[in-house]
Amino acid sequence: MMVYLTAFALIMLGIAGMLFRRNLLKIIMALSVADSGAYLLLIAIGYRSGGTAPILTGYEGGPMVDPLPQALVLTAIVIGVCVLIMAVSLVVNVYRHYGTLDVSELRRLRG
Amino acid sequence: MKGAARDAALAVLALVVILGLLVGLARTGTLAVPPPEGNRPLADKFLKTTYNWTSDLWSASPEVVTSILWDYRGLDTVYETGVFFLAIIGAIALVRGIKTPSLRWRGMSVVARTVSKITLVAIPVVAASIALHGHLTPGGGFQGGSVFAVASLLAIVALGTGFLTGRGWSKDRLLAFRTLGLLLIALVAVSALILALLKGEMGYIMQNQWKPWARVGLGYLFGGGNGILYSGSLFFLNLAEFLAVSAGLSLVFILMGLPWESLKGGASE
Repeated sequence: MMVYLTAFALIMLGIAGMLFRRNLLKIIMALSVADSGAYLLLIAIGYRSGGTAPILTGYEGGPMVDPLPQALVLTAIVIGVCVLIMAVSLVVNVYRHYGTLDVSELRRLRG
Repeated sequence: MKGAARDAALAVLALVVILGLLVGLARTGTLAVPPPEGNRPLADKFLKTTYNWTSDLWSASPEVVTSILWDYRGLDTVYETGVFFLAIIGAIALVRGIKTPSLRWRGMSVVARTVSKITLVAIPVVAASIALHGHLTPGGGFQGGSVFAVASLLAIVALGTGFLTGRGWSKDRLLAFRTLGLLLIALVAVSALILALLKGEMGYIMQNQWKPWARVGLGYLFGGGNGILYSGSLFFLNLAEFLAVSAGLSLVFILMGLPWESLKGGASE
């Protein structure tokens, strides 16, 4: 129960950060927090009562957790890193061209 | 404050959507409390076939997550690595025209630099152990590569970018290693297929182990008999991914670690 609520709290914190922060880098950090919430939610969905890690080295019986969400989350983490890389390089470019990271300033500079 | 009102409306909307998602998932039983007992049929199949040599679908690896990533859903991971490559290319394209400054900054204090130099040896060792045991224990190429990139980041922060660029870690060379990793992945991916074509048999892209209807495989024991388990393509794919990710992330960190002054001057292209 706690873990689901934590995951949703992280997603909401991330979305709130993306909406109410004005600094582009902080917006990217908020995006990353929301990402983490999604990963946590997926991993929590894959948990089974009393399950161990899905690794058969030295396995001694008993239930195992679902390996599929874990593989999916690994892919999602890589894609999350890609998005971060692209976003940060865009922000570097914004800073080079406008000299600011404040989105409301950027809005005023249009035209 | 029109913008603030719009943001508040968006926040309320997001809250409603997320609460709806929470309630919906909880009601369908996905967010079960306490967690369910048995696995779903697909997960069960993966768990039961991955290290069971009597099965036609085994991948010779006791690490189920790595087997899923590089064998059962191998093409997925190849494309994911492709996306990562494109992101790095995009980052390089976006920050082009920034001149690497004359790197006079010699890093932090002597204490920080000495400690960093000690840890700089230890981190790649840990990274290599994570990557090379990816088919036996938790971890794999991406995880190992990310840990390796931490060493690059530490070097950039504590010793200055010049420490890396002065040792030949140029942008082009790192990109070449990144590309080499991707090419190795592609080579391993088609190796079983090439073997099959040479023998006039049936084969698949990303095939790992012998199948009754596609009788080629990359083997799984080094040294035969009671040899070392290397799980066919999984070991080589992890190795190639380790190379690719450590070079790629180090490259990105070097680009992002360029000092403030070099960003200001580059606005005109």
